[in-house]
Amino acid sequence: MKVQGEHLFKGTPQQVWDLFRDTEVMSAALPGTKKMELIGENIYEAVMNVRVGPVAGEFSGQLVISNENYPHSYTMTVEGRGKPGFMKGVGDVILKDQGGNQTSMEYVGEVQIGGKLAAVGQRLIDTVAKSIINQAFEILDNALTERVSADAEGREADYRKSSERDYAATVAKDLIKNVLKRTGSEDS
Amino acid sequence: MKHKIIGKRVKRVEDPRLLTGGALFVDDVNLPNMLHAAFLRSDYAHARIKNIDTSQAKTIPGVVGVYTAEDMGDAWEPGPPLVSPPPTLENVIFNSRRQVPLVKDKVKHAGEIIAVVVAENRYIAEDAVEEISLEYEPLPAVVDLEKCLEPDSPLVHEDLDSNLAAHLIQQKGDYQKALATADLVIKKRFHLDRGAAAAMENRGLVVDWNEKDQHLMVWDATQSPIPIRNGMASRLGLRTHQVRVVAPFVGGGFGPKIMMFYAEEMVLPWLTRQLKRPVKWIEDRRENFYATTQEREQIHEVEMALSREGRILGIKQKIIHDTGAYDPYGLTTPLNTQSHSMGAYDVENYYSELTVVFTNKTIVTPVRGAGRPQGIFIVERMLDFAARELDLDPREIRRLNFIPPEAFPYNHEIIDQAFTDLVFDSGNYLPAYNKALEKIGYDKFIQEEQPRLRAEGKHVGIGVVPFIETTGVGPYEGARVAIEPSGKISAATGVGTQGQSHMTSFAQIIAEVLGVEVEDVSMVTGDTAEIHWGTGTFASRGAVVAGNAVNAAALDVRQKVLALASKVLKTPEDELELEGGQVRAADIPEQSISLGELAILANPFRGAVEPGTEPGLESTKYFGPAYGATAFGVHGMILEVDPETMMIKIHKYVTVEDCGTMLNPLVVEGQIHGGVSMGLGNCYYEKLHFDESGQLLNASLADYLIPSASEMPHIEVIHENTPAPNNALGTKGVGEAGAIPVPAAFMQALENALPEYNLEITETPLSPNRLYELLQKKERNK
Repeated sequence: MKVQGEHLFKGTPQQVWDLFRDTEVMSAALPGTKKMELIGENIYEAVMNVRVGPVAGEFSGQLVISNENYPHSYTMTVEGRGKPGFMKGVGDVILKDQGGNQTSMEYVGEVQIGGKLAAVGQRLIDTVAKSIINQAFEILDNALTERVSADAEGREADYRKSSERDYAATVAKDLIKNVLKRTGSEDS
Repeated sequence: MKHKIIGKRVKRVEDPRLLTGGALFVDDVNLPNMLHAAFLRSDYAHARIKNIDTSQAKTIPGVVGVYTAEDMGDAWEPGPPLVSPPPTLENVIFNSRRQVPLVKDKVKHAGEIIAVVVAENRYIAEDAVEEISLEYEPLPAVVDLEKCLEPDSPLVHEDLDSNLAAHLIQQKGDYQKALATADLVIKKRFHLDRGAAAAMENRGLVVDWNEKDQHLMVWDATQSPIPIRNGMASRLGLRTHQVRVVAPFVGGGFGPKIMMFYAEEMVLPWLTRQLKRPVKWIEDRRENFYATTQEREQIHEVEMALSREGRILGIKQKIIHDTGAYDPYGLTTPLNTQSHSMGAYDVENYYSELTVVFTNKTIVTPVRGAGRPQGIFIVERMLDFAARELDLDPREIRRLNFIPPEAFPYNHEIIDQAFTDLVFDSGNYLPAYNKALEKIGYDKFIQEEQPRLRAEGKHVGIGVVPFIETTGVGPYEGARVAIEPSGKISAATGVGTQGQSHMTSFAQIIAEVLGVEVEDVSMVTGDTAEIHWGTGTFASRGAVVAGNAVNAAALDVRQKVLALASKVLKTPEDELELEGGQVRAADIPEQSISLGELAILANPFRGAVEPGTEPGLESTKYFGPAYGATAFGVHGMILEVDPETMMIKIHKYVTVEDCGTMLNPLVVEGQIHGGVSMGLGNCYYEKLHFDESGQLLNASLADYLIPSASEMPHIEVIHENTPAPNNALGTKGVGEAGAIPVPAAFMQALENALPEYNLEITETPLSPNRLYELLQKKERNK
């Protein structure tokens, strides 16, 4: 499965870069993250609950950052497995300074999934993945704003942790929206 | 011979039980003290197992045991090679690699079994499966039929030099010579994809080793109970009498349930002997998608040489057949393709090269049609393309090439799936073809309806395709028929029943021969306690091979009845008749004796049975044909395609079937209906999507589409009868026929409905999406 997209952050490339390397922020932004820690140079270990339609369960795996070109680009390699199957992905992330304290993030990658996740969740996974990414970006947007203003005010940043439930609810909404779009009855 | 009961539309005697939930299926078997198994199956299509840790799973309350290949010790051995390569052909390469009970080191397809949990119930067993931890080393998967033969391809079986499973060439005449004289040569490449058999009842097993009785009782949703009994006994080091296998009512077989031995069939009997408790496992739908065999993926490079007039001078083809991760079923399926790629036509020169490859996908074995739909698809599509090139009517090119009735028996000079000569025993193709054209209203459709509907903006098309089917192959089947003291008849045959109405149609044969009512005959199928020898229900052979064994046994019993009655009634045998459960003198009806009384006399409690005779009115007979009986038929359809949505509606569907003598037309029609439904699945709905890592992406009935009532057209079935010359009943098989020509007819109709696109469809199944892509491609090239 190809994962591709772009998002505009309100911050400098350096700020966005740092945000993405902060395990506390990242685990707040990704739903169902039970654990995320740095276990070696540029190697993170994570445990996450994943739910795609009827398929749910815990995934554990590693995230490795390579090809670092601060603060412009890096490569992310993810490998995880759990009861619902496995996933393996490689992607490139590019940060571009858009001026006016704005940074665009482009990401493109290939994710391979297997097991129950692929067999039963295939129909849903595209929408679920997009929904998760979009929600994560939304939270990261807020986190970035909070971090920038906390820095300016010289206080500790306070991140709102996303609840798995809110996440699941939004994913479900996105799924339904997608189905309605497909059947052409979105506005009815 | 004029029949009174054979050939009548007798309602199925098994239906009341089936329709009221009174029939026994494997899942209905529940024994005291019974345990339940669940399997850990590989998520990966190709991976090395580094470590398996079952310790956590074993701690769950209710878990009785967790086992891996290592635990099986010496009992671990691959399944048997079911079908060896053809011994009569020269220069055959065949690398036999068979499925294993539990994977030892390397997983070769997703869904392969790595460990089994036995627990007090299935819930606990499934939960415990999730607690087994596994370390894999994922390997690149072998998926593509052509790339897998490239030198740098990963290997499914690392002890082989390549992924080549088999290679052979069959030919008749001299294709090169034919090519030299040809006016037209057409070359096309075809890709036919995989589908599932998707029987409504998944596989299932209940095994019960009784230590005191030293006996293994097995209920197995199999098409082949006797070979399963033989194999289980031999794998466990038991005598055959120590194992009884019952295939009770089975909810659809379609071929995959003839595969032996599935891993589960190797693991469960071993488990029950270890645990000395009954163990049950019922396959769930997702397991079925991974673990139950599939069929149909082949790539064909085809050449057809023709004369200007449209006469086929020769056919040449190279077939690549995907056998999946193992090849236990030998070459049955692709040999069928080879022998059906000449269709119903008189082809003098034929060259057919077969390459079979291993891939990291589910094992391939016959699925209803078994290689035949591919062969018919090839030859019928090629004729459609040839007719277009030569500016001939598609009907004319077919009429020109049919094997004429006087040419039978027609020897094709190659071998078929049974390794015997491919001889078409009988046939009369032209009248059947003309009848189908007449019934579908071909001329009227082309001349009036199609132009009218096109003017209304509707895209309607017609397709009519003839086909042949080799049926009723050996080796043999048997039947036992006995008259009970009550006068009722008990009979048994070794073939299992998966919906074929054996209990009715075989009973009709016996009722005809012994002069009783169908209801007086109790037919047992699929129980090894009732008959010792047999092979199974497959290859459209029940009515031919088992049917004729039933007939032979019934005739032998009739002879015994006549001999005994002649003495009792003091009337010569040839003046006796069997009617209404009585034997009577033909001209003096009151001089009679009932079959029950005769049965009692034949089993005396005192005195002596005459030397040279046997007690009872019972007989066991076998039938094995030298070569098969060739059925044939024609399917025609009128369909409409909506070029906006690509949805299809079939307005009319006509089949002409010739399966020789029909035992029961209702049953024949039922088989055709079911077959057409499967065939339509193979045209437009049922495709298994594997990704490049060997992951099946639509392993559920929500994503894998099976035609349902709303996709099914009304089907008109017309019967022709060219009796099979080589069996007493004159029967030919019809179980697979319905599925065989459907994709060929469907694509012809689809092209006919969309003439402005000038489509040349060389693949199946299509789908609305795929048809859209094909039309877009044509649009761009316009």
